[in-house]
Amino acid sequence: MATVTLDNVTVDFPIYGSTHMSLRQTLFGGMGKLLGREVPKQPRVIVRALENITFELNNGVRLGLIGHNGAGKSTLLRVLARVYAPTRGTIRLDGRISPLFTSSPGLDLDDTGYENIKTCGMFLGMDASDIKKRVADIASFSELDEYLDLPVRTYSAGMLTRLGFAIATSIDPDILLLDEGLATGDARFAAHAEERLQHLIARSSILVLASHSDAMIQAICNQCALLEKGRLVSIGPVEQVIDLYHRRAEAQAAAVGGAVAVS
Amino acid sequence: MTPDYPAARADIIDGIFAFQIWTRLGWQEVKRRYRRTVFGPLWATLSLAIFLGAISFVWAPLFGADVRTYLPYVTAGMVSWSFVSALITEGCTTFTAAEGIIKQLNFPYSTFAFMVVWRNTIVLLHHLLVLLFVYIALPERLSFNILLFIPGLIIVAVNGAWMVMLLGMVSARFRDIPPLIGNLMQVMLFVTPIFWSPSQLGAKARYLVDPNYLYHLIDILRSPLLGDRPALLSYAITIVGAILGWAATFAIYARFRRRVPFWL
Repeated sequence: MATVTLDNVTVDFPIYGSTHMSLRQTLFGGMGKLLGREVPKQPRVIVRALENITFELNNGVRLGLIGHNGAGKSTLLRVLARVYAPTRGTIRLDGRISPLFTSSPGLDLDDTGYENIKTCGMFLGMDASDIKKRVADIASFSELDEYLDLPVRTYSAGMLTRLGFAIATSIDPDILLLDEGLATGDARFAAHAEERLQHLIARSSILVLASHSDAMIQAICNQCALLEKGRLVSIGPVEQVIDLYHRRAEAQAAAVGGAVAVS
Repeated sequence: MTPDYPAARADIIDGIFAFQIWTRLGWQEVKRRYRRTVFGPLWATLSLAIFLGAISFVWAPLFGADVRTYLPYVTAGMVSWSFVSALITEGCTTFTAAEGIIKQLNFPYSTFAFMVVWRNTIVLLHHLLVLLFVYIALPERLSFNILLFIPGLIIVAVNGAWMVMLLGMVSARFRDIPPLIGNLMQVMLFVTPIFWSPSQLGAKARYLVDPNYLYHLIDILRSPLLGDRPALLSYAITIVGAILGWAATFAIYARFRRRVPFWL
């Protein structure tokens, strides 16, 4: 029984400018004043990427995350993946997390396809026997066959996508986190890929999917959350939240348009 | 930043138990070097051998030393130095090189530190081949004391692991540290007795050599390779150093571990 509970999660992002990333500047920056040659100190910026996010997801939930670019969708996914620790608030996860943001973690261009299947598989949480069981499936789905003995450096972009996608979608996920754009080569492969993605999602107990595509959210999700500037505006039935998103986007556009018209 | 000791402890323990991954990643890197050229990392060994051969014949007379003692001394010293200095310089890129994973997956970061130590241990074993030629030419340098190389290697590796973690962390935060460390290590190569021996300094050695932590790390590797026993002082210092170094690294890690993905 998997659950995800977020309680008042806030994430602040310190933005490090080049002067902050320099030890010499940090230690000796003050000396510039004495020498009359100061390197202007960049203001230390802290961006609030998420603010007071609270929700709970239970078994069977397929949650779609929508919102404009920079609304915090990816940050929220990364908080769920335990990549970023919340600045404030708590997060509780019962179940194994399977984040798929890039399709092939640990991929090395100099290694062969087979070697990369093993390395990526390990990073995705498979052990040696899991990987062995899945190699044939990955090889046939990616349609790479004898190319898998070659370094992936020699692959075309499409072949590389197919390999990464085949590896990533071979896992047995529990709480599955997907960032959109995890896919897909040519049109013929896209149809294959969609089917495989459906199977992957069906195997998971909870799904959180960030996407800009209404159609994708409508097809896959049974709940939807709208983020705006790091805040959770609404969470609920898919149609309702998507509708709200478009109404708010129109209202904003109208406000901007109005302001332009007045000035 | 409030320290999170349980998270830091879990990270390090999980990292150790992820040995399937760090041994694999270490091997893969060595294999990649082999794939590019037939001799792989042995090219580095060969260039080391040429360097040592040349320098021995020039510097031995310069120091008024016999080539038959100077050559094995410099060889064992440089082989040991290349291990220690590679740990320190490559340690700086431990986390920045793993950015892709650290920002995508919740993975014990210490895994990458152990990978760096493991990879350099494999390279060290390649470099030992140079010594094989020294032993063929000068068999008297070989004694049972060479078995002490194994505990020495373990102590240096345990020390290397905390150094790699610590340097990996501070280098992720301050990006000008790797070149600074690179410069420092170049200086240290000449300050540490590698090309010369502490006895040549006489009484002054106590002030210049004994406080040099790198010297003790080198000593517990080099002396067994030369058929000698390392000084007990070197063992004491490096074992205490391993404990204190790990304690300090752990405290810093507990405080800043959660910041690492934000720095990358």
